[in-house]
Amino acid sequence: LSAPLLPSAPAALRSLPPPVAAGVLHTTRQLHTTQQCLAPLPPLPEKGGEVRYGLIPEEFFQFLYPKTGVTGPYMLGTGLLLYLLSKEIYVVNHETVAAVCILSVIIYGVKKYGSAVAAFADKLNEEKVATALAVKNEAIKSLETAIEEEKKEQWRVEGCSYLFDAKRNNVAMLLETNYRERLLTVYNEVKKRLDYQVAMQNLKRQKEQDHMIQWVEKSVVQSITPQQQKESIAKCILDLKALSKSAQAAV
Amino acid sequence: MNLSFFDQFMSPCFMGIPLTLLSMLLPTLLIPAPNNRWVSNRLSAIQLWFLNTTTKQLMSPLNKKAHKWALILTSLMMMLLAINLLGLLPYTFTPTTQLSMNMALAFPLWLATLLTGLRNQPSISLGHLLPEGTPTLLIPALILIETTSLLIRPLALGVRLTANLTAGHLLIQLISTATMALLPIMPVVSALTATILFLLTILEIAVAMIQAYVFVLLLSLYLQENI
Repeated sequence: LSAPLLPSAPAALRSLPPPVAAGVLHTTRQLHTTQQCLAPLPPLPEKGGEVRYGLIPEEFFQFLYPKTGVTGPYMLGTGLLLYLLSKEIYVVNHETVAAVCILSVIIYGVKKYGSAVAAFADKLNEEKVATALAVKNEAIKSLETAIEEEKKEQWRVEGCSYLFDAKRNNVAMLLETNYRERLLTVYNEVKKRLDYQVAMQNLKRQKEQDHMIQWVEKSVVQSITPQQQKESIAKCILDLKALSKSAQAAV
Repeated sequence: MNLSFFDQFMSPCFMGIPLTLLSMLLPTLLIPAPNNRWVSNRLSAIQLWFLNTTTKQLMSPLNKKAHKWALILTSLMMMLLAINLLGLLPYTFTPTTQLSMNMALAFPLWLATLLTGLRNQPSISLGHLLPEGTPTLLIPALILIETTSLLIRPLALGVRLTANLTAGHLLIQLISTATMALLPIMPVVSALTATILFLLTILEIAVAMIQAYVFVLLLSLYLQENI
């Protein structure tokens, strides 16, 4: 193929008729990669076919029922068995005894443990399905819990406004309290300063008074001449004597 | 038809067509393949559980590299189980009673384990020829003995399976012949012999399952030494 022909080759091939007829669907699909049929398949039966005596399908008995009734298949079986035995088509030899033994062991085993084994197999399947169901239920439950929690969160959001109001009131109260405290502090400070001024004034006046009294006393004491001192002392003595007389009289 | 005691051990042949291959392949067809349903029927569920349990138990003492042998060992065990158990039915041919088949199974698998060991870890493989703690004087003799025991392993594997199954089948036939022969003469002794036959049948069922398991277990043991 030359290079200019290659790009046009797919288009040319597509215009050709398909290599197989439309009805041959099964051979044209790749092996084991896609479904066999795109239509929905009928479901498989859950149990096997009914069997009588573990060997003969129930359909055989139903097949013979219209012509020979209920005992028909049994007559057929007995007749066949007796024919084989009497004509020595089946020879009774040591294998027959061995066959009787092994078949009785098998039948005993099946009858005794059959239901237990079936229950065990059912339990295996049940556990498998239950595990998957448990996963699904867990997921559903967790999602439901998530939904309820989300609803609760939404309810909480609705109540948020009350919360904010209360908080706002709280903050306002705190601010008010703080303001009042600070007001009190200011008042106390101012009072302290004013008290100081008052105390200063009082102290000054007191000091002036004291000083004046002291000065007055000092000047009076200084002004007392010795002559006056003698006179006052003599007067005091005379007073005392007069008083002592009257005191004596009182006693 | 009059059977001799050895007719059951002859390769089956029908009108000139040898049926040996069919007798070896057909028992495994009775084991259903897992289908692509998630929840399958009872037989598939039990079979899957059984295969999982036995494979896990068989492969647990082996290291990671040896797990490549899981498929061949498990399928070998299932085939031997099927063949042995089906051989207990009357008028059946058991391929594992033939030494040729058992040697054809044992020899290549044993040789594979031996060559794997010699190729990947030759000194460890050869080291297995001398057990630990042997006195120095005994070393040459012990090496010879261990080599002999190593080389006799495939023979032992094959012959063990053959001998067990052949002996069991032969015993069943002999005792059932005795039962049949005593039946017109001394029915009570015949009944006693029939009881023995019942017990023997139960034993043979157990032997069939145990021999299959032992074959595969010994192979896994040889693999454990060498891989």
